[in-house]
Amino acid sequence: MASIATSTGSSRKPLRSDALVTIAAVVVAIAVACASAAVRADSKLLPAEQAFRFSARALDDSTLEARFAVTDGYYLYRDKLAFFLDPAVTTLAAPALPHGKVKDDPFFGTVETYRGDVVVRLPLGTSLAGRSVVLVADSQGCADVGVCYPAQRQKITLAVPLAGKGPGAVVDAVPPKKNWFN
Amino acid sequence: MSSSLKRWLLVAVVAIGALAAGAYVAHERSSSGAASPAAVAALMNLALPDAAGTEQRVDQWRGKVLVVNFWATWCAPCREEMPEFIRAQKEFGDKGLQFIGIAVDQADKVQQYVAEIGLNYPALVAGMSAMELSKSLGNDLQALPFTVVLDRSGSVAHTQLGILKPEKLTSLVKALL
Repeated sequence: MASIATSTGSSRKPLRSDALVTIAAVVVAIAVACASAAVRADSKLLPAEQAFRFSARALDDSTLEARFAVTDGYYLYRDKLAFFLDPAVTTLAAPALPHGKVKDDPFFGTVETYRGDVVVRLPLGTSLAGRSVVLVADSQGCADVGVCYPAQRQKITLAVPLAGKGPGAVVDAVPPKKNWFN
Repeated sequence: MSSSLKRWLLVAVVAIGALAAGAYVAHERSSSGAASPAAVAALMNLALPDAAGTEQRVDQWRGKVLVVNFWATWCAPCREEMPEFIRAQKEFGDKGLQFIGIAVDQADKVQQYVAEIGLNYPALVAGMSAMELSKSLGNDLQALPFTVVLDRSGSVAHTQLGILKPEKLTSLVKALL
C-alpha cells in the first residue's frame, strides 16, 4: 500500500496537492482498516483436528507409522502424545518419540514441543499381516496466539500389508477439506 | 463551500467509511458465535462442585456482573491470565463483580492449583462436559481460555477466546458495574 502513496510523487505531471492529500488519506484509512481486521488473530484459529492433522500408514506387516502435521503457529506437547491399538490385538512397543524443541515454560518447567511434521515409528508386538487395525492417537497442543485445545483422541483404521509387502497407503484421520477462504 | 473544503469533507467521509468497514470486518471475524439465551439459562442452572467438593449453584450469583472463565491447569495461557482475575475480583468484588472459574480438569489438580495461587473466587470443576457448555456460549473451537462476561440482568456483554487483556477486562467491568 505504501507504494501507492509514493507513486503519486511522479515528477512528470504533478498531481494537485489536495488530490495527493486525498489519496494519502484514503491509503492511510485503508491501511488502518486492514490493520484493525488483522489484530484479531483468534478469528483465524483452526479446529484442533485441522491444526494438528493426524495420518498414519503401515510400513510393513509389523510396523506402523504415525504422523502429525502441525500447522504453523501451533505446537503439540511431546509428553501428551500417546499411541495404542483398539482393540489391543497386539502390543505396541513404547515408541521412540523424536526429540522436540525444548521450551522453558513459566508454568510447566522444561517441556518439549513439536512443530511442523512429527513422524513416529510404531513397532507391533507381532506380525499382523493382512489384518486390519485401529490405531488411536492422543495428543494435546496449543496455538501461539494463546489458546490451548483439550486433549484429542483420534482413530485411524489401517490395512496391514502381507509379509514382505508394503508400505500401505497413508490414511488421514480427517480427510483434507477444500477451503476457499483460508 | 469552497472546493478545498469539499475535498476535505470527501476525504473525511471516505476515511471514516474505510475505518468503519475495517472495524466491521474485524468484529465479524472475531465473533466466534453468539451465546443463545438458552445457553445462558443452562449456565445459570448449573450446579457443580467447587475445588473443595461443595456443590455450588451458579444462580446464587444472579444479579451480579459475572465473569465466567473456562480454564484448565494444563492450559498455560489460562494460568497466565488468572492473577489478573484475582486482582480484579479483589478490586471490584464489593461493587458487585463475581468471577466464576469453570475448570475443564480433574478435581485434585484444580484443588492443588487453587491453593497454590490463592484463588479468591470459586473454581467449579466440570471436566470435559464444560467444553460443550462453552461451545453453546460461543466457543465454537472449544479451546481455552474462554471467558463470558454477563451484565447484572444475565445478558452476555462479551465473549473472549484467548487471554482477556487487563485493560479490556477493566473497561468492560467498569462499564457494567
